Amino acid sequence: MARIDDDIHDADSTQRAFTLVEVPPETVPADLAVVTPPSGEKRRRGDVFRPGPGPMVQFQGVIKRYDGDVRGLDGVSVSIAAGEFVFLVGQSGSGKSTFIRLCIRELRATSGHVIIGGRDLGELRRSKVPYLRRAIGCVFQDFRLLPDRTASENVAYALQVTGHSRQEVNRRVPEILALVGLDGKGDRLPRELSGGEQQRVSIARALVNQPRLLIADEPTGNLDPDTSQGIMDLLTRINRTGTTVLVATHDRDTVDRMQQRVIALHKGRIVRDAEGGYNEDPGDTGEIA
Amino acid sequence: MRLGMFFREALRSIRANAAISVAATVTALIAVFILGAFIPSFMYVRSAVSAQTSKVDVDVYISDTASVKQVNVLRDKIGTLKTDGQVAEFTYVSKDDALRLMRERLRDPSVLDQLPSNPLPAKFNIQPTDPANANAIVAAVKDDAALDPTEGIVYPQTTADRLLTAAKFVQWAGFALIGILLVAAVLLIGNTIRLSIFARRREVEVMRLVGATNWFIRWPFMIEGVICGLVGAVVAVAMLWGIKVGVVDAWASGADTALTKTGSAGEAIAFPLLTVVLVGAGALLGAVGSGITLRRFLRI
Repeated sequence: MARIDDDIHDADSTQRAFTLVEVPPETVPADLAVVTPPSGEKRRRGDVFRPGPGPMVQFQGVIKRYDGDVRGLDGVSVSIAAGEFVFLVGQSGSGKSTFIRLCIRELRATSGHVIIGGRDLGELRRSKVPYLRRAIGCVFQDFRLLPDRTASENVAYALQVTGHSRQEVNRRVPEILALVGLDGKGDRLPRELSGGEQQRVSIARALVNQPRLLIADEPTGNLDPDTSQGIMDLLTRINRTGTTVLVATHDRDTVDRMQQRVIALHKGRIVRDAEGGYNEDPGDTGEIA
Repeated sequence: MRLGMFFREALRSIRANAAISVAATVTALIAVFILGAFIPSFMYVRSAVSAQTSKVDVDVYISDTASVKQVNVLRDKIGTLKTDGQVAEFTYVSKDDALRLMRERLRDPSVLDQLPSNPLPAKFNIQPTDPANANAIVAAVKDDAALDPTEGIVYPQTTADRLLTAAKFVQWAGFALIGILLVAAVLLIGNTIRLSIFARRREVEVMRLVGATNWFIRWPFMIEGVICGLVGAVVAVAMLWGIKVGVVDAWASGADTALTKTGSAGEAIAFPLLTVVLVGAGALLGAVGSGITLRRFLRI
């Protein structure tokens, strides 16, 4: 318990809400930060994307139009500080996925600026996109694991991509799998794991390169409530080590329970940005569509 | 160490996509086989044509009644042509020499023993420095007194002209065909590898998602292509070897049993060299095929 108290003292105001989350002490790892090597260790060639000071995620008047004048985002400005835990909520078609895909530059803004870790993604050269993605951990509703690779190999791939030696991969993969609660299941293929376990593998993969920003798009969308709770606890613990966590979801129960900052999108616009619960019906906000 | 990892990745993907890997290998096999059958044929025709071209020689037959002096005058005339640079080489073939040569070329020389006397005239065999000089040489000696009135001068004028044209045609047609074959092979292999990439499109997407650079994704695919190309090429070479030993060599030795010994009119490419060329082509086909195909999937 002492550790959790320390966390609370160290946390800034946006993290105070952690006191409301019931995390049984035994599920908190001895030290999640154990996978984070001392800063300055082995900066690799080409590892060009390092988040600077200032907001972790910043949208400035972002408009994204798809073909046929379909609006993904319609003038979104928002700022997410380093270390925050933020929910992005809204019905399907509200622009959540567009928001997420803009952050990892799967999409480019039609106008406005998407700034991640101080870097304007509109000015990021295509050849540098892989380095952006290494700095961001991504978790998706459909897990996006490589189907013919075991849990260990899936996590290892993310390490190999960043050029880690085999010894280092062999050392860190079991470590991170244990951390997400998959001790001893490293040799299983994704299809041999439950949905919750697969999502834990994908979180392990997202974490293994120590990203400063973790983005999850409907991470609990395919999971039952109990399993969802486990995944959310895991994301909370990750957030507690200082990683910024952005979760897009329409899971009202989860959001209500967690009482974090909630950014609500409706038809491509932010209709609410406050701490608290889901507060779903955008009609209440007086939004003019 | 990275190369080792890419190699393991390539082997993994060959195993995981066995059907498509086999298809790519068979495609490479067919392409290399066709190439391997065509290159020696082309080389053989080419060298046969050029051998014929160099055989365009002029035979000046000497009358049996010509005196030694007359023959020497003719010899000097040809000698002058040689110092002029029109004639490369010339030899005097006596009546006895001519009969001996005939004896060597016939399978059953005993027929010559039936002859009451030697009917073959003596001759000068003249090899022009260039087949195109043949006409000038003929013009220079055609009114000589020593010439045999019936045989005169024998040289294959139209053959010479046609062979020159044919040699050029064979050369260019051959190069064009090899080029077309190579392009077709690259497209075929590329298509097969595209199937493989379509099958793994999601996989490539996931790789990009975790921050794999394009080359990191590309290397295993290229190595995969090279492995398929190499295996296909090796099998194709083995098949070609079987055909060479079992069919071509047997046929060539069978040809010697005909009435006359033909000798070898042309030289094909040496088999070890052909093997190197084909295996190299197979590897290159695989690498280029997968490299080109991947470009389209690695955008954004």
